[in-house]
Amino acid sequence: MSLFIALAGFLTGMGAFAGSAMAFSLNPDAGSPGIEKVNTFHWIIFIVIVIAIVVINLAILRAARPRTRHVKTGDSSSTGSQLKVGIGLGVVALAIFVTATVFSDQSRVVPVSTETVAGMSESKQLEITTTGSQWLWRFEYPNGAFTYHRLVVPAGVTVALELMSSDVIHGWNVPSLTGKADAVPGQSNWVYFRADEEGVHSGRASILSGQGYDTMEAMVEVVSPADYESFIQQQKRDIQEAQDTVEKQGAPDAGAPVTDNSPAAVEANKQDELEATAKKEDQ
Amino acid sequence: MSSYPTTMPPTRPEVSSGVSTGAEAGWRQIAASPDHKVISLVLLTTAFGSLFLAALELLLLRVQLAVPENVFLSAVTFDRLLSVYGETAIFLFALPLCIGLFYYVVPLMVGARGTALPRVGQTGLWLFLFGGIVLYASFLFTPPEAGINPLPPLSELTFTPNNGVDVWIASTGMIVLGLLLLSIDLLTTIYNLRAPGMAWRRAPIFVWAAAIVTWLMLFVAPVFLAALTMLMIDRKLGGTFFAGGAGGAPLLWQHMSYIFFTASYMIIASSILAAISEIIQTFTRRQVLNRKVVIASMAAIAVLGTLAWTQNMITAPLPSGWKYFAMLMSISLIVPFGLIFYNLIATISASDFHMRAPLRYAMGALSLASIGLAAEVAQSTIAVGTQLQHTYDAWAATHFALIGFALFGGLAAVSYWYPKMTGRMLNEDRAKISFGVMLAGTLIALLPLFGAGVEGQVTDSYRYVSGQGYDLFNLTSTIGTLILFVGVVMAVGNLIKSRTEGAVAPPDPWRGDSLEWLALSPPVGHNFDVLPDVRGTQPMRDIRDALARLDAEAGAKADEPQSVA
Repeated sequence: MSLFIALAGFLTGMGAFAGSAMAFSLNPDAGSPGIEKVNTFHWIIFIVIVIAIVVINLAILRAARPRTRHVKTGDSSSTGSQLKVGIGLGVVALAIFVTATVFSDQSRVVPVSTETVAGMSESKQLEITTTGSQWLWRFEYPNGAFTYHRLVVPAGVTVALELMSSDVIHGWNVPSLTGKADAVPGQSNWVYFRADEEGVHSGRASILSGQGYDTMEAMVEVVSPADYESFIQQQKRDIQEAQDTVEKQGAPDAGAPVTDNSPAAVEANKQDELEATAKKEDQ
Repeated sequence: MSSYPTTMPPTRPEVSSGVSTGAEAGWRQIAASPDHKVISLVLLTTAFGSLFLAALELLLLRVQLAVPENVFLSAVTFDRLLSVYGETAIFLFALPLCIGLFYYVVPLMVGARGTALPRVGQTGLWLFLFGGIVLYASFLFTPPEAGINPLPPLSELTFTPNNGVDVWIASTGMIVLGLLLLSIDLLTTIYNLRAPGMAWRRAPIFVWAAAIVTWLMLFVAPVFLAALTMLMIDRKLGGTFFAGGAGGAPLLWQHMSYIFFTASYMIIASSILAAISEIIQTFTRRQVLNRKVVIASMAAIAVLGTLAWTQNMITAPLPSGWKYFAMLMSISLIVPFGLIFYNLIATISASDFHMRAPLRYAMGALSLASIGLAAEVAQSTIAVGTQLQHTYDAWAATHFALIGFALFGGLAAVSYWYPKMTGRMLNEDRAKISFGVMLAGTLIALLPLFGAGVEGQVTDSYRYVSGQGYDLFNLTSTIGTLILFVGVVMAVGNLIKSRTEGAVAPPDPWRGDSLEWLALSPPVGHNFDVLPDVRGTQPMRDIRDALARLDAEAGAKADEPQSVA
């Protein structure tokens, strides 16, 4: 009897869970067509799974109900036919799963650019080398500019991220744009996406990479193509300025701290600070 | 049951004689004994001790994650607890529980007087125990801190220069080698020491599962041991097997370790489903529907599940063919799991049964595992997997399945064979209460984590910032984990207390149909005086019928009644 009550409570809980799940979907702010497809597929699979769980647990509940009536033994022809129906349904469900899955795999689909910016490859993609290291992301744009932590991409352009790592395995994870992909040292992992609307997407690294793992975050800023190009020009100027300052001070042999205020240098300094605080916290 | 006297004479002198072993044996006898019953009792005791530790570690991890930006544990302490928790739950609790159950029950079930290679089994036990001791001794020095599965290059010397990873490699290696030796002994026993007449087609489902699981162990344990050796060479001898960019392949470790981890999942699932089948057969007094289908499904689970290892690597830079293959294998698992669930539930539905502690735990196991397995299906598809892997959704799915199988199913199996192992009955009331508390705790602890995972919370991180939509989920989960911990303490406490306080058990308290119920409770050192002659799939029922017939004939000849049991 207590099993009955417990399972009834469980089913109520499942219902409440399903109800609360209706309140949020996987990526309400999906920023790319591929992720919208994933959202739809997630809903299909979520509903199928909730139905399966409820059916199985109702069957367990029904079976566990205490009864005094003696059930006649022997003949099981009816259960046999039920079994066939069960197998049939299982095979149908399997076919649906496989079909739906093949058509909703966004990693195989390379979207086509609708806008053009400078630095695109022959295949009309903007290839950006993304290197993970403990515990930051570095983005290298096709025309010499680079940023840390923050990736700026133009809307309407197919972006191909080449994920690499300089030390351990890092999990690239921006759920509303690309989903997850691992950056493995010595190998390249490609992620393709096209963001259609301007906005900011962010995500936490998803594979344990050491003690500063919880601070490792990537931010993707989608801007208009014109803003993108001016950002790249500005970034290039700032980097050049910072390098000139370093050369003037004769930094290569002195190792003196860079004290200029260009965004690239500021970002590099920020990283040093982050690492220093992480180390402090560890002690 | 309480009407039995505390000291009981052998009830059936024609079947079994001698004094029972177990209760009075000192540690010297236990340490030196190659007897399969003593060895597996040590294994099971260690497993339930580890269950307590794993529940405690999980509780500490959850307390740290109860509120955002918590300062209860530091990053390094969290990583260490996490690594030790993973190893304790899988290698010190779930796997030895399954192997230990097989090692106790299977020789009795096939009517053997012992195992075929007792010294091999004894070596296995000691390797296993030393592995556990090495892991927990590391708390005095440096515990492992590279995660539940320490992925190179993070676990290479360059990035984790302390000895924690070495401890992980050494202890895991000893444990896996120990379990492999126990499996070899078990498999040899099943092949060679079956009682006269016990053909494969008459072997109980649990024996079939033991054969399937030990065969699987023979295939996957050497792969994992090789990976451990290679990582050890990398760390200690300057090797570059898994070094990134220096001629090594970091993904090779993932292939080799995930083959073993996925197979372990299937080992736990098959073993416990087989134990649940035995329980259902006994308490419903009938054979499981479609016995052959159930056995074949267990073999299918072992093969398909292991072939699906790359489903853990959906986000890795792999050719997509691998990912599609793994996805297909994982989705195909719906069929064998579904068939087993269907037949087990249908068997209960179609019969009269007595609700006792083992059956209650077993129903809880099926219920919880159904949630976990269904949620695993979602993540094995590539599209959803790239979103949900490494989030708390994946964590919740795995925990639902493994808590369902290993904790609830393990308690079902242990409470079912408890009278046989200890000679005492398990306290029913305490078992009922602990069941309710654990069920509530598991549901409250894990259901909210599905929400946290869908909202994007990643695992293994020791803290998170608030305002991301999952603060409440985390707090609820921590409260649930506390309830679960209380339930685990009650269940383990019941196992300990009933050992001395339980009513004395007769040899066959449940009227089971397989041969372990022929032996005394607990069995004598050599298990049986008379090797039974097996004529069907329910040998103990045949023996009971024969004894009743003899009794009736004797009663008819001589007018005075003779009691047999």
